[in-house]
Amino acid sequence: MNAGKLARLSVSILVFTGVWWTSSGTFFEEAIVPSPVSVAGKLGEMIWNTQLFAHLGASLRRIVLGYALGCVIGVVVGVATGAIRLARDLIEPPLEFCRNIPPVALIPLVVSIFGIGEIGKYFIISYASGIAVLFNTAAGVASTPQIRVRAALCLGARKQDIFVRVVLPSAWPHILTGLRLALGFSFMGVVAAEMLAADQGIGFLIMQSTNIIAPAEMFVGFLMLGSFGLITDQLFRMTIHRLMRRYMIPMA
Amino acid sequence: MSWRVLRLEGVGKDFTRADGGVAEVLRDVTLTVERGAFFTLLGPSGCGKSTLLNIVAGFEGATTGGASLDDRPVAGPGTDRTVIFQDVSNALFPWMNARENVEFGPKMARLGAVERNERAEKYLRLVGLDADGGKFPFELSGGMKQRIQIARALANDPDILLMDEPFAALDAITKKHLQVEFRKIWSETGKTIFYITHDIFEALLLSTHLAVMTAGPKAGIKEVFQLDLEEPRSPSNPDFAAMYSRVETLIDEEVQRMRAR
Ligand SMILES: Nc1ncnc2c1ncn2[C@@H]1O[C@H](COP(=O)(O)OP(=O)(O)OP(=O)(O)O)[C@@H](O)[C@H]1O
Ligand SMILES: [Mg+2]
Repeated sequence: MNAGKLARLSVSILVFTGVWWTSSGTFFEEAIVPSPVSVAGKLGEMIWNTQLFAHLGASLRRIVLGYALGCVIGVVVGVATGAIRLARDLIEPPLEFCRNIPPVALIPLVVSIFGIGEIGKYFIISYASGIAVLFNTAAGVASTPQIRVRAALCLGARKQDIFVRVVLPSAWPHILTGLRLALGFSFMGVVAAEMLAADQGIGFLIMQSTNIIAPAEMFVGFLMLGSFGLITDQLFRMTIHRLMRRYMIPMA
Repeated sequence: MSWRVLRLEGVGKDFTRADGGVAEVLRDVTLTVERGAFFTLLGPSGCGKSTLLNIVAGFEGATTGGASLDDRPVAGPGTDRTVIFQDVSNALFPWMNARENVEFGPKMARLGAVERNERAEKYLRLVGLDADGGKFPFELSGGMKQRIQIARALANDPDILLMDEPFAALDAITKKHLQVEFRKIWSETGKTIFYITHDIFEALLLSTHLAVMTAGPKAGIKEVFQLDLEEPRSPSNPDFAAMYSRVETLIDEEVQRMRAR
């Protein structure tokens, strides 16, 4: 990062924090929007008594498992949908229907079926991430240029090699975009699920804070979502940059 | 595999259109391409040149008749025939650098790493890109990409190169260079070339044989020429100029006929 960029980043963060700080106690009551100082105090307290780790751990575990499951299902079904006409005709209509139902809307049903246990949360997160992965994967697989496949056949690739040698590498940029979007959706899914039915987790922390009138806790929840979302996204990008760079180069 | 002639015999091709109707594209196309020839197909846009090339490549089956090398019918794509596509960005593998692209065929043929590398170097040198093997397609200009595609095809040592307007998307100067270079590559490697172009000038500059197609639907072959033009070929040579206007007239006739319908 060069000096100019670093300066702009600092200004941007300072202004954001400044606006928050000055509006707390003036524009908004402190009991609704607490100041950065009291949020920082609360954060320290929750780290000290390890409460924070319990919530964070619960949410992250749900995200990791739910996301992983969603990605596996999304990639497998997405590849089938993108590559096989019959699969597309059979699978796509109900999925096109389902993609309009946001994960949050399914929570009441999921709670009635699975109760407030972990399975329901994995389901919500897998659903949220799986749909994103699936549609992007299918689009990527289906958009492989026909002439690239034909070029490979001319050069001696066998029909059964085409998927691994041509279709998959051509689809990687789409698949990775889907995986990255899905990561964001997993965060949304976990919070929604925890807000409605949980006794632990960041979503629960946020929801509960209004009941026990602890606004600083709510903001600690926001802070966790914002920073962990950012960290995982950056990690994701760095990993792709290291491992998958050749597939992400401009296609023009 | 040794063969003497590429034959197209009574080739007809119908497509089912999206609206369910039938597009009758080719009718009774019969051509003979001698081994080692530079055979060029000219014709009005949409008459079915690419369709014919796809049939020779084995990408599409003919509705009637078919292509064969001597008596062996073409049944699908094969390493004896390699296509050079105009849309080079999609034809190359963008996740492979130039050398890896060129090595793809040898790799499919299960050659060892050393030999693969030698081949890649040899053909990169032939197209003048020996210093650019490590670059990815997006880092190369259109002309350079097309050279890579040519090197990739040659590294596989096919008998026939099938080229569908390979230089049409390039700027005039790059195109001119590549035409000259490609003619040299052809005479050095002795490959048989089946070439499509819209450019009469290019056709006369490069080819040993030239076929003009009639306008579609139900397109066929209007006339075939063997070109024994004075070398070095140049538009200022009288035989070149005469041939040019003769071919131009033939194509104009077909375009008029197409418009009249
Ligand atoms: N898959 C297809 N389905 C239906 N019609 C097709 C199909 N492929 C080609 N055609 C039709 O066949 C005709 C010939 O197409 P082709 O691409 O072979 O022409 P061409 O001579 O190569 O044209 P151009 O000079 O513009 O490249 C066109 O009318 C085209 O619309
Ligand atoms: Mg064409």
